[in-house]
Amino acid sequence: MITLSVDGREVQAPENMMLADAAKLGDIEIPVFCYEPKLGEPVGACRMCLVEIEGMPKLQTACSTAVKDGMVVHTRSERASVAQQAVVEFLLINHPLDCPVCDKGGECPLQDITFGWGGGISRFIEPKRHFRKPLELSPLIAIDRERCILCYRCVRYSQEVAEDYQLVLLERGEHSFVGTFDGHPYVAPFSGNIIELCPVGALTSRPYRFRARPWDIEGAGSICTLCPAQCNTSLTVRDERVLRVLARDHHEVDDGWLCDKGRFAYQAIHVDERITEPMIRDGGLLRSVGWERALAEAVGALQRAGSKVAALAGGGATNEEGLLLSRLLRDVLGSPHLASSPGAAVSLAHWRALSDPALAASVPDLEFAHAVLVLDCEPLDDAPILDLRIRKGVRRHGVRLFVASPRASALDPVSAAKLRFAPERGSELVWALVAALRRDSALEDAARAAGVSATEVKKLASGLRAAGKEVVIVYGEQLLSADGAALLALADALALAGRSGAGMIGIPDAANGRGLREVGVMPNAGPGLSRPTRSGGRDPAAIAKALGNGELAALYLLGVDPLRSYPDGQAWERGLEEATTVIAHASFLTKGLREHATVIFPSESSAEKEGTITHPDGRVQRLRPAIGHVDEVRSEWRILRELGRMLGASIGPDSAAALSADLFSTVDLYAGLTLERLAGHGVRWQEQAAESSASDGTRVASAKLRRPPRQQSGKVLLGSYRSIWAGPEVKASPALAFLAPSQRVELSPPDAAALGLRHDEQVVVSDDHADIRGRVVVRDSAPAGTAFLERELDDNGANALRGPHVRIRSVQSVEAEAAALLAAQQEALAEIEQSEVSAL
Amino acid sequence: MSAAVKPLLLRDIDEPGLSDIAVYERRGGYKALRKALAMTQEAVIAELEASGLRGRGGAGFPAGRKASFLPKGDIDKYLVCNADESEPGTFKDRELMQKSPHMLIEGIVIAAHAAGANHAFIYIRGEYEEQARILDAAIVQARAAGYIGRRILGSELSLSLVLHRGAGAYICGEETGLLDSLEGKRGNPRLKPPFPALQGLYQGPTLINNVETLMTMPHIISMGGKKYAKLGVSGSSGTKVVSVSGHVRRPGNYEIELGIPSRQIIFDLAGGPPPSRKVKMWFPGGSSAPVLTAKDLDVPYDFDSLAKAGSMLGSGAIIVIDDKTPVLDVALKTAKFYRHESCGKCTPCREGTNWTVKMLERIEAGDATPMDLDIMASVQEHIIGNCLCVLGDAMAMPIGSMIAKFRGEFEAHIQSRQLASVA
Amino acid sequence: MSPADSAGPGFEYRQELAGREIPRSREGSRTPGWDEPADLEKDPAEVPDPALVDVPAKLRTEIEKAMARYPDRHSAALPALRAAQDHHGWCSPQAILEAACVMRVTPGYLTSVATFYDMFELQPAGENIVYVCTNISCSLRGADELYASLEAEVGERRDITLRHFECLGACDIAPMVSVDHVYYGPLGKGDAKRLVGDLRAGREPIPELALALRATAASELRKEQK
Repeated sequence: MITLSVDGREVQAPENMMLADAAKLGDIEIPVFCYEPKLGEPVGACRMCLVEIEGMPKLQTACSTAVKDGMVVHTRSERASVAQQAVVEFLLINHPLDCPVCDKGGECPLQDITFGWGGGISRFIEPKRHFRKPLELSPLIAIDRERCILCYRCVRYSQEVAEDYQLVLLERGEHSFVGTFDGHPYVAPFSGNIIELCPVGALTSRPYRFRARPWDIEGAGSICTLCPAQCNTSLTVRDERVLRVLARDHHEVDDGWLCDKGRFAYQAIHVDERITEPMIRDGGLLRSVGWERALAEAVGALQRAGSKVAALAGGGATNEEGLLLSRLLRDVLGSPHLASSPGAAVSLAHWRALSDPALAASVPDLEFAHAVLVLDCEPLDDAPILDLRIRKGVRRHGVRLFVASPRASALDPVSAAKLRFAPERGSELVWALVAALRRDSALEDAARAAGVSATEVKKLASGLRAAGKEVVIVYGEQLLSADGAALLALADALALAGRSGAGMIGIPDAANGRGLREVGVMPNAGPGLSRPTRSGGRDPAAIAKALGNGELAALYLLGVDPLRSYPDGQAWERGLEEATTVIAHASFLTKGLREHATVIFPSESSAEKEGTITHPDGRVQRLRPAIGHVDEVRSEWRILRELGRMLGASIGPDSAAALSADLFSTVDLYAGLTLERLAGHGVRWQEQAAESSASDGTRVASAKLRRPPRQQSGKVLLGSYRSIWAGPEVKASPALAFLAPSQRVELSPPDAAALGLRHDEQVVVSDDHADIRGRVVVRDSAPAGTAFLERELDDNGANALRGPHVRIRSVQSVEAEAAALLAAQQEALAEIEQSEVSAL
Repeated sequence: MSAAVKPLLLRDIDEPGLSDIAVYERRGGYKALRKALAMTQEAVIAELEASGLRGRGGAGFPAGRKASFLPKGDIDKYLVCNADESEPGTFKDRELMQKSPHMLIEGIVIAAHAAGANHAFIYIRGEYEEQARILDAAIVQARAAGYIGRRILGSELSLSLVLHRGAGAYICGEETGLLDSLEGKRGNPRLKPPFPALQGLYQGPTLINNVETLMTMPHIISMGGKKYAKLGVSGSSGTKVVSVSGHVRRPGNYEIELGIPSRQIIFDLAGGPPPSRKVKMWFPGGSSAPVLTAKDLDVPYDFDSLAKAGSMLGSGAIIVIDDKTPVLDVALKTAKFYRHESCGKCTPCREGTNWTVKMLERIEAGDATPMDLDIMASVQEHIIGNCLCVLGDAMAMPIGSMIAKFRGEFEAHIQSRQLASVA
Repeated sequence: MSPADSAGPGFEYRQELAGREIPRSREGSRTPGWDEPADLEKDPAEVPDPALVDVPAKLRTEIEKAMARYPDRHSAALPALRAAQDHHGWCSPQAILEAACVMRVTPGYLTSVATFYDMFELQPAGENIVYVCTNISCSLRGADELYASLEAEVGERRDITLRHFECLGACDIAPMVSVDHVYYGPLGKGDAKRLVGDLRAGREPIPELALALRATAASELRKEQK
């Protein structure tokens, strides 16, 4: 710490901190427009922060001046004030001052700074520029170029944070303006952040425009539960309606950014399609009923099913809800069949070992590690905000990034090396990598089984080794379900355990996937990864099968529709068809529920929910309701508790706070946590004082390899992915609906050529059991031999196919074939008729 | 003709075929390079420092000291030749490159040796296509002759040289704008510090020198720094190629010894204004320099004397304006130029140049009062010293000087237009 | 040979745009897009996928060669844009898209760069491009009048693109022009007519005024002193 003087006040600050920030430590504000530390190095463009520093002949920009001991600064001296007033006067030359009709009015840095540091008058009497306004910059963002003061925050963001390089500055000098290539819209996964960055009303949210004034609204801190990234948000609420979502800067979670789904999907809270009343299936049709009726219906069904009930949890279900669900199933109904992830259950020993705090990396570690290995996942789709964090590490801190995934990743262009392996062969790839790191002869076989060349794996291994010891691995759910042992072996080969700055982060399938597992929504684990009170729990594939063949009778769904989200849609179709009862908590009538649910309870949105959720890096975060329940929506924990009560058991206390306390004392990983300690920023449970090591030290390290993937002539391997835009909330939010995915069939140029398919052509993709339709997208970066399709569409998702090989034909040829077949049949029929006639 | 000196840079300028390496070598070319390569890096810097050579691009920073700022050590270091000659009135580098490209290459290799650079670039303005072609051909010849490439002339020095063409932007003559442009970006100036000597091109240590500065280096090595320092006057040693243009009878480049009276350049060399016209004002160092008037014609033409007279030597370009030309026309041309060339990155320059043009246009249109002159002068003061780079100042200084020195004429214009409108 | 072939690359595109009015601000800034919204029907302009963009082989080679000359391929932005402009006659969206595809950058990045520099033609350009320096030194010697007469000579036809330019660094031959990047001057009365006539006739324009032929001022001075 050094001491400097600002406006006669002694200020203590870390040496080399930028003066604009250091002054704040002494409660002195220096006005800035272009300066925003989140965007990287200062650029000194707006000149708003000119201040006088003794010993320097010229005024200096406080945003770019590092503080030194003994520095004497005057921010309000005559010279500084004249310059600040001059800059305000210059900025307002072309600003329309249309504050009364501007959305930013009341929360506008330009207004505040003009008031605080401006001269109060303008000598500019020439006509101002007038443009058409507002103009669409994208379906989500409006641009008002009259208001723009050219601070470049938005274009710097696009280029240096999101790195999409779509939003740029065009022309030069006073003609400069913010725009895009040839009138293309600025549509990118993180585009909405520019609205918040804009220090004037030039970039506004189209869905929020003219909805409220700052004095009409209240802010409420919350957490986005649309994906595992669990970004911290601040909800703008007016009259019990969420009107806007802003980032609530949390360096250790989101770094102050949001993806567009998190920013705009709040609209789904207040749409007509949302389920806001209980429903039951009556005469084959779903109809709204009162709570008593719905609860009675559910209780009756559960009583009848008894232990022949299974439960799946997902979505934004909280830890508390997970705990109550597991108690309801295990303790009240006597069923061990609980799951919260679509894949096979990891062995408890592996799961405990993987949860060992010694192996845990935190989000900021991604930014400062020597190397980051993205393994069998796509951060942009699976936990979007991590994509930005990884880019930041590469760009600003020289992190070496390695990407090993079946499908081309958005991070490929910034990676030091990338490697493609066959879909669903993540564990083989990991075993190959382990062998390469250990210089083991097993490499060849494992690489072959992973569908990748041994040389490439060796290259990856040596790249990782050369990068340094602090390696952070980000892996996906698929890998986790496939083989925990492989991951543990890899951690061992890289000696990650206990190394500070190194470790692993697993991105689960569900937003609170980690928390649900940790509270015991697993077939083979109870709360805190303990041995479950009941053994023999089935994993989802087995549940589907058991429902199909009658071994199980009822299914309880907490925030998940397996037909939409789980693999092997064909098995689930059958399972749901055969199930006598399907009880679901849901916000939207997705396909599985529309067709099979017998009782539906309306789900809470995260804006209504109370409880805790757990981030993939172990941070337990608190959800607080920002609005009251919409319509008939009730707290889900209350519904679960009520069902327990009606079934004759008390499964939890009768207040949300008491329930959280119950959770913290039940789940020993969370021991010592309290809601007060979680406060607004959450706590990583690994950082708890108590030695709560989850590991019992079991390590199994022998490779289990499947046979290498084979090519079949005329067919390609089936790969699948879940797009960032896959959730039902996207389609339900009017502003975001344009992003809702439809099936696309990604092919490499040689595969497309070999199959005789063109870009944009409609095709039918089929395996031996089912077929789905989609549009061909030829991508240069698509690996040859595999077609990638989207999972989790409302209809027509890739989960309907089993693979591993699929046939792809153009719709045209399929229709021609069908027509030919029909013609042949008709001909045959005619012949038969003919012969019958002649027989007569 | 007293103003003539024994020229250095222009000595062989009229030699036919000088752009060919054989002719250049025959005239003694590349001998200085051999001499420099036989010297240590420190010795070369010492000669440059002894010569007192100040940068010829506009800022006039001592060239030897600049070369010494680059860190030592075995990392990629860059030398960039600033051939983005765009300062209005300046055309010396164009002629030098066109006629004597090898002298520039020789200077570049010597400077690279001094700075320990291993990659060199010539950033030439895009409009100089003919000169770029000549340089490209010369680079090919120099490479074939072993003056560029690996282990040049058997020394430790290895140097690549790439000619990079700009595409029409005055701001790229500003050294950090030039670096951004060379990196393939918009040519926006960067915040300093960090200075290019530490973090320049591709974030590496970078030495940036003007064409004429580099072309002087072979002569300094040949004759020795001390001997070169004897040319010119104290604080402004050596010779300078001066571009004279505007209302003179013989516009062109003249090599002079620094410190001679400005009158000699304008009248004896360039022939002075056309018959029956008088010098009304003149820019001594390109359009960015505050204007001087007929009273200042005897100011010695060197860095310090011009600064004392309230202007600057800048790029060494004299623009002469005669007494038939209204000051308003010159002011408007000047301001419009800077508005057009402002990169737009920082506020005072972007908005200040724009505002100034609008006020001048209003004055021209007869819709102004003398108070507007006060506002305009105050706007210039608000620009000076408050911008990210010097472009804003480069407009504000000459415009400010015009208002100060020709206020009467501005007021008379305003008044006559007002009277005209009343009538 | 079709008329499109004889008219050079980009002909059809230029024809298509010829009728469309492209706004110009008073100061001659090119294609201000201030009043234009994004077209929401279009896809976002990401880095073009090589599988979907056909880049002429010659253009590709030229850009790839340029990229290889620099330690960082991005440095090739200006050479790449210049090559694309030469190939298409102007920096059309297609030209920029192709350059972006080879450089592996977004077309937005290259558009941002292209609009910064005066030498990129962002609207369809004629077969000949004439810059007229109208900066101080040239205007002191009649550049504005020269521009006016050139404008009158060129008339409504779009075969010659005439542009004001800031100081071209040739004040010694003021007033001067740069015709397809070759300097000529000083232009006197009648030279504007001759220049346009020569260009339209397919001849080298005003050849005796080429800068390359001009003697240095020093040699002129010597001659005079003799």
